[in-house]
Amino acid sequence: MAQTLDRNETGTESDQSSAAPNRAEARMWYYMRISGLILVFLALIHFAITHIVNDVVETDFAFVQTRWSNPLWRFFDWTLLALALSHGVIGVRTIAEDYIRKPRLRVAVKALLFTVVAGIFLLGTITIVTFSA
Amino acid sequence: MLSRGTVYKGKTGMWAFTAHRVTGFLVLMFLLLHVVDVTLAGISEHLYDTVHAVYGNVLLRLFEVGLLGALVFHALNGLRIIAVDFFDAAVRRQKQLAWAVVAVTAVVTVLGGIVIMLPFFTHKPVF
Ligand code: HEM
Repeated sequence: MAQTLDRNETGTESDQSSAAPNRAEARMWYYMRISGLILVFLALIHFAITHIVNDVVETDFAFVQTRWSNPLWRFFDWTLLALALSHGVIGVRTIAEDYIRKPRLRVAVKALLFTVVAGIFLLGTITIVTFSA
Repeated sequence: MLSRGTVYKGKTGMWAFTAHRVTGFLVLMFLLLHVVDVTLAGISEHLYDTVHAVYGNVLLRLFEVGLLGALVFHALNGLRIIAVDFFDAAVRRQKQLAWAVVAVTAVVTVLGGIVIMLPFFTHKPVF
């Protein structure tokens, strides 16, 4: 992690002084784009069904029950959860790298961010898997 | 520029970059809240329905419209970023693409916003 931080201090994407962090940064760069492309479909379909085609007051417990009686919807929802959380957490990590200049504060904020998002991922996964329709 | 601002080739300006950051952050914050409220469905039907009913009030409906706008902007602008990263033709049409993103976001948000807000006044779903 400390090496990743160095990259930010030393320079731009093309900086070759430390290859390993750059490779990690490059992978994240691609991950943001690939997950983004998939999220266009998953997130917008999800929003259209649960906020536009159905009104908010209609997406009650009975709605969740009907929807999750089909394992394919559980799979859809879990994929959306995993992609949106991972894309979002990597994105906010970048924001933290850019704006938080104090190294120790930056590490603390990122640790908090990863912990909260991991907890929410666990919670969502348990809910999707264990819900009895 | 030393930060990752470097990935944004072209000179469409800071506003699209900033708006992309803000919307991405806000959508993630909503997602964290949303997972918690759906988790209630796994705990108790009554609890979920009670909490979920709150989303029907006018303030949270406006919030929902805001979420739609943020998500649509971020999705379309994300596609623009990807296009600019990989295609020269998109670099040349930077400005037009950025304005197309804003225009389509506005249209979708207004139309979607009407569908989201109307049931509050008519007390029945649009579809
Ligand atoms: C709907 C389709 C989406 C597309 C096409 C998309 C695309 C992108 C792209 C291309 C980037 C730039 C990454 C980079 O510069 O390296 C990005 C950043 C980001 N995205 Fe998304 N995204 C989408 C959905 C989401 C969702 C659902 C969330 C929240 C959970 C989110 C949160 C973020 C955040 C926080 C950033 C970081 C902004 C920054 O670094 O300036 N995105 N997105």
